[in-house]
Amino acid sequence: MTRSRRAQRDVSASRSDTSASTSPERGIDDDNDSIMLQANDSQSSLAPSVSPDSDEEALRRAIEERCRVSPISRLPAELMIAIFAKLSSPGDLKHCMLVSREWARNSVGLLWHRPQTGKWGAIKSVIATVRKSDSFFEYASLIKRLNLSGLANEVSDGTLAPLSGCKRVERLTLTNCTKLSDLSLTAMLQDNRSLLALDVTNLDAITDRTMFSLANNAVRLQGLNITNCKKVTDESLEAVAKSCRHLKRLKLNGCSQLTDKSIIAFARNCRYILEIDLHDCKNLEDDSITTLITEGPHLRELRLAHCWRVTDQAFLRLPLEATYDALRILDLTDCGELQDAGVQKIVQAAPRLRNLVLNKCRNITDRAVLAITRLGKNLHYIHLGHCSRITDAGVTQLVKLCNRIRYIDLACCTNLTDNSVMQLATLPKLKRIGLVKCGNITDRSILALAKPKQVGHGGPVAPSVLERVHLSYCTNLTLQGIHALLNNCPRLTHLSLTGVQAFLREDLIVFCREAPPEFNEHQRDVFCVFSGVGVSRLRNYLNADSPNRRTPIFDPDGNMFDESEEPEMILNVTAQAHGMNIEEMDEDFGEGSEMMG
Amino acid sequence: MSAPTEEKKTVVLTTSDNADLTVEREVAERSILIKNLLEDLGGDNAEAIPIPNVNEAVMKKVLEWCEHHRKDPPASQDDDSDSRKKSTDIDEWDQKFMQVDQEMLFEIILAANYLDIKALLDVGCKTVANMIKGKSPDEIRKTFNIQNDFTPEEEDQIRRENEWAEDR
Repeated sequence: MTRSRRAQRDVSASRSDTSASTSPERGIDDDNDSIMLQANDSQSSLAPSVSPDSDEEALRRAIEERCRVSPISRLPAELMIAIFAKLSSPGDLKHCMLVSREWARNSVGLLWHRPQTGKWGAIKSVIATVRKSDSFFEYASLIKRLNLSGLANEVSDGTLAPLSGCKRVERLTLTNCTKLSDLSLTAMLQDNRSLLALDVTNLDAITDRTMFSLANNAVRLQGLNITNCKKVTDESLEAVAKSCRHLKRLKLNGCSQLTDKSIIAFARNCRYILEIDLHDCKNLEDDSITTLITEGPHLRELRLAHCWRVTDQAFLRLPLEATYDALRILDLTDCGELQDAGVQKIVQAAPRLRNLVLNKCRNITDRAVLAITRLGKNLHYIHLGHCSRITDAGVTQLVKLCNRIRYIDLACCTNLTDNSVMQLATLPKLKRIGLVKCGNITDRSILALAKPKQVGHGGPVAPSVLERVHLSYCTNLTLQGIHALLNNCPRLTHLSLTGVQAFLREDLIVFCREAPPEFNEHQRDVFCVFSGVGVSRLRNYLNADSPNRRTPIFDPDGNMFDESEEPEMILNVTAQAHGMNIEEMDEDFGEGSEMMG
Repeated sequence: MSAPTEEKKTVVLTTSDNADLTVEREVAERSILIKNLLEDLGGDNAEAIPIPNVNEAVMKKVLEWCEHHRKDPPASQDDDSDSRKKSTDIDEWDQKFMQVDQEMLFEIILAANYLDIKALLDVGCKTVANMIKGKSPDEIRKTFNIQNDFTPEEEDQIRRENEWAEDR
């Protein structure tokens, strides 16, 4: 950045006389100047040999004249590019390309940086141009980002192969292009030294061949997502680990053949790893986890969901007094072997954890929760779903010491009572609370959640900031509590009440969102989730319906919250559902979001 | 105004056409180039600072902008992401400020670049981008008085090679 700015400065400096003499104030002088210059010029032309000066002089005058006629030509290329960069529409950029040769040179790089490849027509046109031998520009080398995920399974090797001449692609995104194989991938990767990020999520046909090709070429690679590339083995990933040492982000979810071997290779060779997701790498054992933590000074995010073999030892083997301050996010969903001792060590070793997911770590008790309270204000996100041994005592301590919690999930913590929720209701920043199947809780809990919070001691009273509330199968709940919640939580955008009898009424169900398509009839019958506008509609309906006509709290921003997120979330839920077995699916159905971050 | 007891520090800038402009230091320091220069010189210096690439008329215009934006928060990372977000929205005052002839417009952009005033450069670039938006190549040429140096064949070739690029 500084360098380019200096370069720009040089350019403008070299033209300083031009820009000064053509400034508006000196318009009259300007003419004088050019007369003077002509006089000089004729003098010098009398000299027997043509001095190089006169050429320069002529060029200078040509530039000056052009700048006078067309002031925009004063701008150096860098500034023209800065202007073109403000144009978001490829149509406008194309028009710039057609203005003049100079404009074409300065706009073509921006237009081809990330060509439109979301539709067949566009991608066909891009391919045709890239393949031409006598094209006006060398377009292939201008493409820096290539994303074919929009066409997903319509993309075949025949589509990608002609693009293999694009050797400067930095980001290659092929998510869900499931027909692609090693054939086109290896051609694409061959001789590309620029690649920074590769996403081949769900390309289950690709094998070690593609990964070896990556290892041999992508020396600058920083991000790799090979989620569900189930044929990939340790052998090729060890090679990747050894040559792609700048890797920062790794997603190896569902690569079921991987063992400690390749993960330890990543830990030992790639010292800049920030995030690693090993969701469903079921063969992993304690060694790789310990090594990732001890060898990765920058490790920020470690996700180990469904790594069943991981035990307390993974953490107990960490050096005695060492702490890993970079670690902020740890997901241990369904690491069923984990016990209180493991959690205690985790908190001691990673005191700055912000997100801790212990969903389905069913062995842990209040002792683990007490250890977690040592995270204090650092803790923002805690998932203790299915940790059914924990009690009100643990939750009460947690609320007392970790009052910055924004997200908490306690689904299926069946011991919990209204006492827990009344404590949780005092958390000033709580945005999302999950209490699915906490069967003991009653309207008392919900009325507590609805109560406005006092900010600090003696501070102003502010309305609740709750956004998402999950209460499915809390079968004791009635309309009264929820009505109060709706009227006192202006930011509420998600409310799930699946299986709560009081809400399975014709007149209320109409505000519900559609059940996911994969649900069976019974699941549909009890499905009850209000989201986005559905929440406000339910609120308005209940207010209109209620005899004492409580004024609803009107929030002009009420609709700004994540309605747009909804489809994405549903997608996530479905994607997640594929990874779960049917039994789990059934248990949590309609509450897929409970499982999600 | 804000601190009546403390006399406001001023600096003198000498423009390319040898005009001396006296300006409050806080205003001049919207320019990172000048700010760094002053810091390098250290303390209170009475000497005039030469700005050899900008003439008086342009400098006055630039300082008018700096005066209006003197209290803007300093450029941060947020700023960076903002400019990357290709928006061409410009606030009302800046829009009016930029209603100048093309000569002055491009001189302001050059000066903002030279003086390292990121926000002004950004406004300038957005202004020009808005003059381009939605226009045909021919309309763009007319707007900026640019000569078409393509042959009809070349123009046609580029059109075909970039067929995919359409408005979203």
